[in-house]
Amino acid sequence: MKDLSEEAEQTEENQNNVLEIIQVKNLKKRYKHITALNGISFSVKRGEVFGFLGPNGAGKTTTINILCTLALPNSGLAYVNGYHVINQSNLVRESIGLVFQETTLDNHLTAEENLYLHAMLYGVSRKDFIKRKREILKLCELWGKRKMKVESFSGGMKRRLELVRALIHQPQILFLDEPTIGLDPQTRKKIWDYIFTVRKKKNTTIFLTTQYLNEAESCDRIAIIDHGKIVAIDTPENLKKMIGGDIIIFKTENNKQAEKEFRKKFPQYSIKWIGKELKVEIDNGDKFLPILVKAISPHITSMQLRRPTLEDVFLEITGRKIREENNGKIEDENKDFDITSLFSLFNFSETEEKNNLPIDKQKSDE
Amino acid sequence: MNKKLQTLYIIWYREVLIYLRNSLKFFTSIFLPILILIFLGTGLKTIFPTPVLHYDFAQFFFPGILGLSISVMAISSTMSIVWDREFGFLKEILVSPISRSYIALGKILGATTTALLQGSLILLTTPYLGINFSILLFLKVMLVIFLIGYGMAALGIFFASRLKRIESFSILSQIIIVPMAFLSGAFFPLKNVPSWMITISHYNPLAYSVDALRWVVLSRSLDYEKISLMTTHSLPVCLAFLFTFNIIITFFSIRMFKKLK
Repeated sequence: MKDLSEEAEQTEENQNNVLEIIQVKNLKKRYKHITALNGISFSVKRGEVFGFLGPNGAGKTTTINILCTLALPNSGLAYVNGYHVINQSNLVRESIGLVFQETTLDNHLTAEENLYLHAMLYGVSRKDFIKRKREILKLCELWGKRKMKVESFSGGMKRRLELVRALIHQPQILFLDEPTIGLDPQTRKKIWDYIFTVRKKKNTTIFLTTQYLNEAESCDRIAIIDHGKIVAIDTPENLKKMIGGDIIIFKTENNKQAEKEFRKKFPQYSIKWIGKELKVEIDNGDKFLPILVKAISPHITSMQLRRPTLEDVFLEITGRKIREENNGKIEDENKDFDITSLFSLFNFSETEEKNNLPIDKQKSDE
Repeated sequence: MNKKLQTLYIIWYREVLIYLRNSLKFFTSIFLPILILIFLGTGLKTIFPTPVLHYDFAQFFFPGILGLSISVMAISSTMSIVWDREFGFLKEILVSPISRSYIALGKILGATTTALLQGSLILLTTPYLGINFSILLFLKVMLVIFLIGYGMAALGIFFASRLKRIESFSILSQIIIVPMAFLSGAFFPLKNVPSWMITISHYNPLAYSVDALRWVVLSRSLDYEKISLMTTHSLPVCLAFLFTFNIIITFFSIRMFKKLK
């Protein structure tokens, strides 16, 4: 028995030395009608904050679900903390902490009890739990409210509690699926402060998905995913460098004429339409502005110069804005949800399951 | 092993904690059976006076209502799975690195405990119903309640693993629980009913539960002949059936729970 536990400890040490804490090779996942993941490969280094950026339905949640052993891939390899996600799923589960898009707290219980339950589920001893509880509740500033039932908490408080709950078994990696979705800007900023405090204090690797571009900028590295494929993967700075220099966006009284003249006079630069405006990517944009004004004959009605953002990178790579199709889609989902919940009054088991299927799929598809 | 026991304990602990904390649920779970015993029992007693029956109607009625109450309690406690699914907490349990079998077992034992708590409180009314009781008898009844509650809880897990919405519970109770209750012999003895009803009741675990409770609860108040007047099966048959049923349903409920996504 003793030998065994020593061996286990040794392998654990080995696991801790794995430099690339997540390794994914050519991962594919198909649902009945849609290909959610179409062969993605990437790796995450220990201690990194790695962001997965993409619109709804791009395959972000599917990736997280596979890495957390909640879904099985159709093909491909995935290792988390050196463990195989299919064959060693329990070892994977022990080394990760998870925060889902939706809250998974027990509303009937207090903050403290929620943490206790989690600690016990993950095999943390009582002694360790009592030691960590204080530190962790102070970290999320809920120490004074630890004896209050979770149902009385605000959205931001619940999120914070979930975040620290995922830490109580001291995971190697923290998976955050849209950690700040549905929160107001101040709370969002606070959540991010926690994420970085955690990273600093515990040296935990953090893997997160987001569709907020400004949040993605604070990651160490980003993978941009679209239609189940990784289209770019690099540091935010390098991604922005892809765009090259500055961006000038302008609008004239006759855009077509302006575009024509621009192409003629500056064939070395590219010009693109964005809605009703024209976009030029250029080095030293500040010096180019006056030249541009003089060079184009149609009257310029508006003009702006800015540094490239990740939004521009996304636009450049995928040809569309990240959020443009989001709003409508979310509403659709809700509508579907209501109808089926009505149906479920009359349907029992079989039929009901079928009714629910599309929603489940949509969700796991994100 | 220690870890697994810890799992079992924590799932059980939460189940019981929620039951005790939800004072409304706690109150109604005891109030309704007592209401039935007092009002319905007293009322029905006027139709079946003791000389006709050879025993007090309350003595007949009490074990049946006790059996039904704890069964419904055990089943509805397992519906916490459906609530948890609706409010997201189920996911937290399902992604933890513990085996599904232990989660299911913990839930079953938790629901059984709520049935035991409820049953012991209902038993407090026995002095007013003309039923003789002792500590030893109390323990024996608890044992029978455990057997019944466990089986019903496992049955509850079996169904709850399939239910996606809490509204479906009303259908479940209409299709499964109510027929089981009516054919359990709690309201009338299954002696002189049409033979098809008797045939169905042979497959009804609640019929055996009610009979078992009658044998044990009334053992100090009535003699053998009088109890056998109101039961269909003998005590050893009842216990054997319940025991077998529990083993089989545990297997199936764990299997169903493992399929849960």
